[in-house]
Amino acid sequence: MSENKKILVMRSITKTFPGVKALDNVNIHVDEGEIHFIVGENGAGKSTLMKVLSGIYSHGNYSGDIVFNDEIQHFNSIKNSVNKGIVIINQELALFPDLSVYENVFVGHEITKNSAFVNWVETKNQAKKYLDMVGLKVDMDQNVRTLGVGKQQLIEIAKALSQDVKLLILDEPTAALNENDSENLLNLLVELKKKKDITSIMISHKLKEVEAIADSVTIIRDGKVIIRMDRSEINQNEIIKHMVGREIDNIFPKRPKYKGGEVVLESVHLSSFDSSLNRYVLNDINITLKKGEVVGLAGLMGAGRTELAHSIFGNVKKYKLTGALMINGKQVHLNHPHDAISKGLSYVSEDRKKDGLILIDDIGQNICVSSLKKISNRGFINFFKQAFFADKYVKDLSIKTPSIYQKLNNLSGGNQQKVQISKWLFAEPKILILDEPTRGIDVGAKYEIYTIINDLIDKGMSIIIISSELPEILGMCDRIYVIAEGKQAGEFDIDEATPEKIMHSATTA
Amino acid sequence: MTQKNVSSSANNNEKESLKPINPILRYFYAIISMFRTNIRDYGMFIALIVIFILFTISSNGIFLTPRNFSNLLDQTAYVAVLAIGMTLVIVTRQIDLSVGFLSAFLGAYVIVAVQVYGENLFLAISVALLITTFVGIIKGYLIANVKVPSFVVTLAGMFIFKGFLMIRTDNTTITTTHPFFQAIGKGYLFRGFTIGGYNIVALGIGVLLIFLLVFTSIMRRRKNQQLGVQNEERQIYLTKQILTIFVLAVLAYNLAAYNGISYLFLITLVVLVIYFIFTTKSTLGRRIYAVGGNPEAAELSGIKVSNTLIIVFISMGILSLIAGLMYATKVQNTSPQHGVSWELYAIAATFIGGASAGGGVGKVVNSVIGAIVIMSIPNGLALTPDSNANIEPIILGSILLLAVIFDIYTRNVRPVDLVGMYYAKKVHGEELKKAKADLSAAKAALHKAKANGEKLIDYEYALTNAQTSISKIKNMIRIAQEEEFMDHKIDNDPYIPDEL
Repeated sequence: MSENKKILVMRSITKTFPGVKALDNVNIHVDEGEIHFIVGENGAGKSTLMKVLSGIYSHGNYSGDIVFNDEIQHFNSIKNSVNKGIVIINQELALFPDLSVYENVFVGHEITKNSAFVNWVETKNQAKKYLDMVGLKVDMDQNVRTLGVGKQQLIEIAKALSQDVKLLILDEPTAALNENDSENLLNLLVELKKKKDITSIMISHKLKEVEAIADSVTIIRDGKVIIRMDRSEINQNEIIKHMVGREIDNIFPKRPKYKGGEVVLESVHLSSFDSSLNRYVLNDINITLKKGEVVGLAGLMGAGRTELAHSIFGNVKKYKLTGALMINGKQVHLNHPHDAISKGLSYVSEDRKKDGLILIDDIGQNICVSSLKKISNRGFINFFKQAFFADKYVKDLSIKTPSIYQKLNNLSGGNQQKVQISKWLFAEPKILILDEPTRGIDVGAKYEIYTIINDLIDKGMSIIIISSELPEILGMCDRIYVIAEGKQAGEFDIDEATPEKIMHSATTA
Repeated sequence: MTQKNVSSSANNNEKESLKPINPILRYFYAIISMFRTNIRDYGMFIALIVIFILFTISSNGIFLTPRNFSNLLDQTAYVAVLAIGMTLVIVTRQIDLSVGFLSAFLGAYVIVAVQVYGENLFLAISVALLITTFVGIIKGYLIANVKVPSFVVTLAGMFIFKGFLMIRTDNTTITTTHPFFQAIGKGYLFRGFTIGGYNIVALGIGVLLIFLLVFTSIMRRRKNQQLGVQNEERQIYLTKQILTIFVLAVLAYNLAAYNGISYLFLITLVVLVIYFIFTTKSTLGRRIYAVGGNPEAAELSGIKVSNTLIIVFISMGILSLIAGLMYATKVQNTSPQHGVSWELYAIAATFIGGASAGGGVGKVVNSVIGAIVIMSIPNGLALTPDSNANIEPIILGSILLLAVIFDIYTRNVRPVDLVGMYYAKKVHGEELKKAKADLSAAKAALHKAKANGEKLIDYEYALTNAQTSISKIKNMIRIAQEEEFMDHKIDNDPYIPDEL
């Protein structure tokens, strides 16, 4: 039977990095024409395994065998694997933002005349064919920069199809997509499987997706394969159990019901105009945050939640603001994060690597950078104080590191996030804004971060959580605002909020 | 969690049965580990030592005589001062191409004011300071607020200041005769104070510096100990101290044996000390490095990035003024020919000193060492008989390239611990040997099978298995070694406790 033919076997794959956990004797196989999921906590080795498979780590840099279509493969570069029909689509898309859609589909394997000149007519025709296949209807002359992430992802898949793909690898394809785009993508994969017999391997954190479309799952932990499950055995709780190696009966730590308090932060008819985009990114936002309360900002990617945080936190992006911002009942004008910090605000940013942390610096330097006054005297830093506070937060938040002098580069995502949170706790805020606080970190670290949030509420802090994960919003917040297309689309008390209601507000604004 | 405890306690049992390492071998392992771990900081010292040795040989020893050594430091002075300012510019991910002609123009401004127009020296310098501060603000504002790339802003500045230099000097060479200029360019600190031909002030300052350094480092270790912060191993600490004292002593001796401390060297030293403290201890310095390390994160952390950049360009401007005056007084004139390529020397010195174009990395002390490396080349070539001075730029370019390649190769150096490795190998060495033998057997079998034309897949599998078991053992060694790192030592290790 063709269904049981193993298109790919990876046998005894071992890959070591100096000082970094890697793959340890990994054995996986994928049947022809199935959608196979690889799941595991962050740093489990999923991406490394896919890099071995796609030739990014060339033959000789790992030990073990890759058997594809019954032949042992020695890939020396990604080009080799593409020639055999293995195409990887990474989390960070490899498109050229200033090239048009059709150019992007064929970039790197252009259709040529006399193998010297690009045949643009044929390129356009072929591009149209592949874009239709993935169901993308856009102006093909448009620059890719102007398209959303969901559409860009489809272009990547069209590009893969144009390369005659047999095995498609997707590394967390839905991490940056909203629910609609995610669903589209998953449907497309199922369709490709049925119509074109394309096998796919997907790496994902979202177990719902696994339940929805997986034919089989391999679970990896600490660089080892824990178990392979077939369609009939797939079950969220089982998967979580194997991922973390323990049962998590409650993902969200309990907190007493919110009793009420005075308003600490309020936005009154707040609108933000982005002059570089020439449009309003926020329109008439009226939200309140009370003392000791956790307020959630739900909504789709790009709805304006991060823009709201940026507008409140010292207007970092230099929008033209109208309306008012009140802290403890008094109007404030915050023109720089510096002002916001001095008014007791802190903002844990969405992308910790890009604008949250200084990765080449050590833990102490990162924790103290926003509160240098606290560790200095007349403009000179007291390094003993810096070490003292670094040590305190490493212990308080149980940051796993060999020493406080460890560079952030060498920490895992969850621990980096804890350093970012430490930095903002050290600023001793009264109001803390957390933008996607658990993105890209593993289940265990997530739980610890939720516990930290509850501790802070205990101490009287007020917190805003921006999150794209509805369970997180529903599990952690006392009140929820939904933002859609820059407008306030709904407000729910936790008792009345359901995922359906929130999605409805978010999508029908 | 529990699993890990079990495995580490098992390891401890194994460790106790280990024979401790020979103390002398341990010392060398520890020193080499420290050196290899911090190789990036020592790269330019190696370059300096190699160049010094080569030129000393090629010049039949003249290169390292007190007289030439003192001259070399004076020749380096203006580049060193520019390189100190350039370090901050590069750290913040910018570049400044205008400083060559800016320096020359500022020097010309002061000298023409005093020598031609007979203005008051103090006034002239004050006006020059105002000009350069103003220029720094403009450059910084255009770069930070208007977002014009610094390459373009300062390239424009380079042309503009060249014009100002030509106008100010009226395209003629003006000699310096004012006693102040004479003193700065050619004078020495208390030159007459000598005993047996050695300048006392130079020796005195040398001794003072040595005491200061030893004292502060001992205080720091005490304080660390009180706070429970881990100190360097005592042996390594002592080795470093002895080397530092040695270098300072040689420096002081060489200067004392010639004319003592020249004002040019003194100014360089003062600027270096101020900037060393500024960059490593002050909050403003920390902000500058934070901006270089990640501008977006710095801005969101409440640091005013644009103000920080403006300060960096003002600092560069003030140092340009100092460097311009140093050069003009040293050559005893100001001329429209001055200023050519100075900025490039400063940038090269900074990169040779290990600054990273990616931002956030760079030390002022190392940039000064970089400047000495650069200026040694023409000096050494001039002393080498039958050498062609025209090869100087070729050597300079090659060193710069090597320095940057070295920087890239050592970017991801991870801590090395040969002592830990020694113990780890003791534990797992036998297994590794056996696994290696298995591997070569598997290789031979595969080779034979190929020759006989048999089906290969089983042999390939066997080879993979052998490779896998080797990498498993290597991984175990790595883990064992890292545990040494964290626990620091095994029980009966001849480790001298961390006390004074």
